[in-house]
Amino acid sequence: MCFIEFRVLTLISWILAGSGVRGARRVLPTPSRPASSAAADGGGGGGLVDISQIPLTEPIPGLPTPVGSAAVYGATETQVTTLSNGLRVASEPKFGQHCTVGVVADAGSRYEVAYPSGISHFLEKLSFGATKKFKDRNDIMLTLERLGGICDCQQSRDVSIHAASAEARHVDGVVDLLSDVVLRPLFTEDEMQMTRMMIQYELEDIERNPNKEAQLMEMIHAAAFRENTLGLPKTCPANNVDQISRRLLYTYLRHHFAPSRLVVAGVGVEHQRLVDAVQRHFVDEPAIWEAEPELVLPGKTGVDTSVAQFTGGQVLIEQDLSDVSLGPSPMPELAHLVLGLESCSHHSADFVTTCVLSTLMGGGGSFSAGGPGKGMYSRLYTNVLNRHHWMYNATAFNHAYTDSGLFCIYSSAHPSQLRELCDVIVRELTAMAGPMDVVELERAKKQLTSMLLMNLEARPVQFEDIGRQVLATGHRKQPKHYIDQISRVTADDVRSVASSMLRAKPAMAALGSLAKLPALSDIEAALLNPGRAPGRRRYSLF
Amino acid sequence: MGMAVGTYKLPRRCRSTAASAAFEQTLANTPPTRVTVLDSGLRVASEDTGAPTATVGLWVDTGSRYETESNNGVAHFLEHMAFKGTSKRSQTDLELQVENMGAHLNAYTSREQTVFYAKCFREDIGQAVDILSDIIQNSQFGEQEIERERGVILREMQEVEMNLQEVVFDHLHAVAFQGTPLGRTILGPTKNIKSISRQDLVDYIKDHYKGPRMVLAGAGGVDHQELVKLAEKYFSGVSYQYEHGKIPTIEPCRFTGSEVRVRDDSMPLAHVAIAVEGCGWTDPDNIPLMVASTLVGSWDRSQGGGANLASTLAQNSAVDGLCHSFQSFNTCYKDTGLWGIYWVGEPLQQEDMLYNIQQEWMRLCTNITEFEVERAKNLLKTNMLLQLDGTTPVCEDIGRQMLCYNRRIPVNELEARIEAVTADSIKNACMKYIYDRCPAVAAVGPVENLPDYNRIRASMYWLRL
Repeated sequence: MCFIEFRVLTLISWILAGSGVRGARRVLPTPSRPASSAAADGGGGGGLVDISQIPLTEPIPGLPTPVGSAAVYGATETQVTTLSNGLRVASEPKFGQHCTVGVVADAGSRYEVAYPSGISHFLEKLSFGATKKFKDRNDIMLTLERLGGICDCQQSRDVSIHAASAEARHVDGVVDLLSDVVLRPLFTEDEMQMTRMMIQYELEDIERNPNKEAQLMEMIHAAAFRENTLGLPKTCPANNVDQISRRLLYTYLRHHFAPSRLVVAGVGVEHQRLVDAVQRHFVDEPAIWEAEPELVLPGKTGVDTSVAQFTGGQVLIEQDLSDVSLGPSPMPELAHLVLGLESCSHHSADFVTTCVLSTLMGGGGSFSAGGPGKGMYSRLYTNVLNRHHWMYNATAFNHAYTDSGLFCIYSSAHPSQLRELCDVIVRELTAMAGPMDVVELERAKKQLTSMLLMNLEARPVQFEDIGRQVLATGHRKQPKHYIDQISRVTADDVRSVASSMLRAKPAMAALGSLAKLPALSDIEAALLNPGRAPGRRRYSLF
Repeated sequence: MGMAVGTYKLPRRCRSTAASAAFEQTLANTPPTRVTVLDSGLRVASEDTGAPTATVGLWVDTGSRYETESNNGVAHFLEHMAFKGTSKRSQTDLELQVENMGAHLNAYTSREQTVFYAKCFREDIGQAVDILSDIIQNSQFGEQEIERERGVILREMQEVEMNLQEVVFDHLHAVAFQGTPLGRTILGPTKNIKSISRQDLVDYIKDHYKGPRMVLAGAGGVDHQELVKLAEKYFSGVSYQYEHGKIPTIEPCRFTGSEVRVRDDSMPLAHVAIAVEGCGWTDPDNIPLMVASTLVGSWDRSQGGGANLASTLAQNSAVDGLCHSFQSFNTCYKDTGLWGIYWVGEPLQQEDMLYNIQQEWMRLCTNITEFEVERAKNLLKTNMLLQLDGTTPVCEDIGRQMLCYNRRIPVNELEARIEAVTADSIKNACMKYIYDRCPAVAAVGPVENLPDYNRIRASMYWLRL
């Protein structure tokens, strides 16, 4: 269940985290029971219609014709209720017979400073295992199958999500199951062993995978937030695999899964019903670490409340990537480079502007699927990939968190061209504070708006948005709020956000054969003095 | 309802329902799919969810199966050329129009279908339909653009070759459907990519892009009547008549049990697919075969004990370390299909993995339990609507079903069909399609340990049942 970090183009950057467009695993809806079981007993009784003989082009005789509901236009409201122990419940209605319900917790790898890194990774792998009520994972899956549902757990740097999609009429069952999964897991010895093995496999797969984007994103976070909060590793380091114990997990849970740090969010559910179910299963039934305090290590103090510190700096991994191909066709040898700048939190007034900037920079792979609409006229295409055919990738990302943000450009090319690669990217970064065409700005704004709405088409994305917003602010702003904000962004806003980002200390991450990589100090100087034909004179060899 | 007369006798429960409320209809909390057929035979099918965004697309009943040896690759070449400018818009105009309206234009070609679709704001559907109609009716196919696109497609070919799953599936089609159009690749051979001419493209459109073979599908904030009006306005040039009276027909594609091995011991892992001949889209056996495929399931070793524990093969793989991942598949075409499994594993695990797979297949044919079938049915129902979230997946479902079934199968009907599957019907279908059948095998990588074909074939039946 690896957590995939996506290219953050959307306005609400974290909407996309893990539930984006390109093949992410999602918690998805499930069909309802058959409305009529009339034709269902095809084999039973003589003379019945035998469904198993009717081609799929023909309707089944005798089935009632479904009458669809009419389209519903207009925005909905998010209802939020705070329960007696501080736990918040938020929901929105939605068209359809299915619901997505889940627990969003203020937890994640950013809080692991006092623990061996990898706790969240373990929790993700252990999720939906044995609990007090459910014997093992199989038992949970069986129960969920009866509710017509599926489940999913995703751990990111700043948030933990356990969710399930099922038939809307089974809300109570889903909440019951989720409460046990989140508050009363057993972490049996078998499961711990299995998890250690799974993580080991996953680490091997990461190493083997020729696509290094996820690894580079981990590295740039480590460089940008050195040894604090958002810079802590999300993937369990190999050395920690054997160190993480049950008691550590319970200790972490006790502190980070306290009711005030949880939101139970639902889409496609009736609010009062959800609230009642949550009261029964999350409030009236205690968490396992409350009922059995001996599970928890004594002496561990509470939650790391430190604010993310953007330190800047570099994380470099020298590695021979000349033979990464898994098959008979060779793959080009690449060096990967990410340059990162401090951007802002998603509470900040500059947040929307930064997202517009990120869309305006856009980019992607030099060879990527998809027709017009993928941002072909964003700057990293028009100024970079279309001009420098030796480059394989140039993509802008903006990661926003509650207290800080990271804007970065990921790029890759043959290691012999690292220097030129750096030149090109630095030039684009400094140009962000320069002149800006109205047409390109308007295009970026339009694309950002459509990206936001198109992502919210999917119910699990809407669920995650509700959960994260309510967790961060206590309520959910409807998409319209952000769309209005986008429409007000001006070229001056973008330039001023860009200039202030360029003034701070940058971060760099690189992987591959790095002999030609310029020093971070040279890059920093070039970012500060855009007038001086960035870098060229200072660090070009010839 | 009107059809439920004559020789059919309704099940008792249905009759009692019919007695109390003759026109009882299930109320689905989803919008209905509306279908309109234009004079040209073009079908317009849409579903209005009232979303602020929408997907509209053109589904065309054509693909590499309709090609010959000499023009194999033309359907895919055409898909590439569609975004290269028309008599109304230059390539740049087209790209900028789409980018500036925050829309996405996309296309793909499969063996039997070619698809062009746009995702856009509700207000922009008119522009999107205009663009879709323009690119399939008025594309310029400039000589220069064609030359440039050859390079792009050859590059795409390299990308495909890096994806070992695609490589294995192309090999599997090549042996399973040897000597027939389904055995060819979608991209076509390098020779053709280098030689396909403007005339080939023009001819291909003339021969295949006909009203009755096209569906304009829409989902999201789409008003059906509006969409019909747009279709009438912009697709007026599409005809139902074939020139020179040559109506392309498809030949049945023969399945041949056979194998191909591309042994390469320098690769770290072996990639193998094994399949028997499945059924066509519309065949009622499709339903039990889908349930059987779901029952075999899929798994990846980083999932550990498996989210998909309904699958015995996943359990065995996890416990005995049989492979890194596997995936069961049921690929359908008009009149045939491939039902099988693809897996990736360590060089010396091939024999054990294959043994477990074939044990499982034989179990499906002979003594699968109701309990397992019930779980697989539940999973399948869940998975079937799994992708029906968002305007694009719904639109794709509408377009594909309209081409395959000439209708959109209502959800309640699909559920009833799956519900009707029993352990017996699974056994019957598997006996028919799997038991004692010659499989097609494609293996790439260090596959020394994979048993020879005669042994594989000999494990497709049991001496003692």
